[in-house]
Amino acid sequence: MKIFLLYIDPGSGSYLVQMIIAGVLAGLFYFKNLWWKIKSFFTKNKKEDTTDND
Amino acid sequence: MTNETTDYQHHPASFKDPSGFVFKANEKYYRQVNKSYAEDYDLLMSSGLYEKLVEKKLLIPHTEVNENLYNSPDWYKTLLPEQLPFISYPYEWSFDELKDAALLTLRVQKIAVKHGMILKDATSFNVQFYEGRPVFIDTLSFEKYDESKPWIAYRQFCECFLFPLLIEHYLKIDVQKLLSVYLEGIPACTTAKLLPAKSRFKLSVWLHVFLQASVNSNNKPTNKAATASFSKAKLLNLIESLQTAIKPLHVKTTIQSTWNNYYGETILSKNYLDAKEKIFRDFVNDINDGRTMDVGCNDGYFSRILAEKNPNVIAVDFDSQCVNKLYLDIKSGAIKGILPLCIDLTNPSPAVGFNHAERQSFAERAKADTVTALALIHHIVLSKNVPLPDVAKMLADLTKKYLVIEFVPINDEKSQQLIANKTTYHKPYDPAAFEAHFSTYFQTERKQVIPGTERILYRLKKR
Repeated sequence: MKIFLLYIDPGSGSYLVQMIIAGVLAGLFYFKNLWWKIKSFFTKNKKEDTTDND
Repeated sequence: MTNETTDYQHHPASFKDPSGFVFKANEKYYRQVNKSYAEDYDLLMSSGLYEKLVEKKLLIPHTEVNENLYNSPDWYKTLLPEQLPFISYPYEWSFDELKDAALLTLRVQKIAVKHGMILKDATSFNVQFYEGRPVFIDTLSFEKYDESKPWIAYRQFCECFLFPLLIEHYLKIDVQKLLSVYLEGIPACTTAKLLPAKSRFKLSVWLHVFLQASVNSNNKPTNKAATASFSKAKLLNLIESLQTAIKPLHVKTTIQSTWNNYYGETILSKNYLDAKEKIFRDFVNDINDGRTMDVGCNDGYFSRILAEKNPNVIAVDFDSQCVNKLYLDIKSGAIKGILPLCIDLTNPSPAVGFNHAERQSFAERAKADTVTALALIHHIVLSKNVPLPDVAKMLADLTKKYLVIEFVPINDEKSQQLIANKTTYHKPYDPAAFEAHFSTYFQTERKQVIPGTERILYRLKKR
């Protein structure tokens, strides 16, 4: 059991904001991926790899 | 906390995180890991995260010293981090330095999450510039990642990085002065009031600034939200959204700042610069070691000459756009030994924070073996109305050994521009007065008139 788990104050609304943002982003990424799938189906281009090798 | 040896000094800025603290002993900075952080520290080292971050030069490397140097009852480990030549603060960084520090923090966070850890704090003071790039210095910022929880340091990241960057991007103002007041970052509600209405149309700005500001002000403290479950995928989306929001932010370099293109525009330009460079190289050749500071560095033309042979050059100017341009040049070029900082010598960073000791003043940190001050003195005396004896004292306080300084006389075209709308200025302002006042602190070793001008370059040695 850690005593000092919350040594910085995340802010009263910070967690709630992150929940909302994550929700919005999940929706966006869903449509973005869908769009890529449709696009690549017609253009036969592979989706670019955007990961930065970490 | 007991401490038998007076040589061991607890760093005045290292008190917030109970995981450990930084202390100074025998001119070296150490970091103690406390027992309460043992589990997280061991995970950092055993998960491969430390190795990965150090390999990518994202985290400052350290060695473990198996000794309770501070004689502390909470002692678990003592770390000796690679020592940094100079500590700078976010309110001294230009736009792109702050932006790169932000992107570094997010990159570190992403890698940490892959290794089952997460950043428990994300203040911009956890980043320093070392060898031309930002590096994360707080080894104790990592904790075990609980996938059901959102990012505890999200708000802190926004306030320390995203909001200042957005303010500078949208308002085109130097955000450094604001950051020197808001040491813990600029709050969402303040940012929301400052940003222009058009910024609301950008989804990332709306989500991270306006939504956060309204939730923060409407939401009463409650733990309900904290208990709702989050996920790793959601966290990674959040980090990516922050990266996407920050990457395109920029400051307009097309704005003509005070010094931008100073050398390019002046009619003295090419011949003057060549002649000055020749004398300058001759003057600094055998004194360019230890820490060298180029004050009033402008576009860093002479800082680069210093850095050819010296990896420890600090280049300061009050014009943040010049400093930013220099930083971007250094980033893309081969010379890495320059640290460009936004410092106004007539109003340098004060000592701030708890007990006036948390963040040191520029004067406390900046003493340099050699100081160079080219085409600067007329601005301080004629524009800022600082009398010559005070300029001499200020530069003497900064200098440990040598000062290479250019005197720009009153008849010079640039001096005339500065006094054009003034009824008077501090007199006498001439080489004789300059030499008399500077001789209080320095002795003249070399003196040469720059051909084709009445400007004089001096090499002075501290008494």
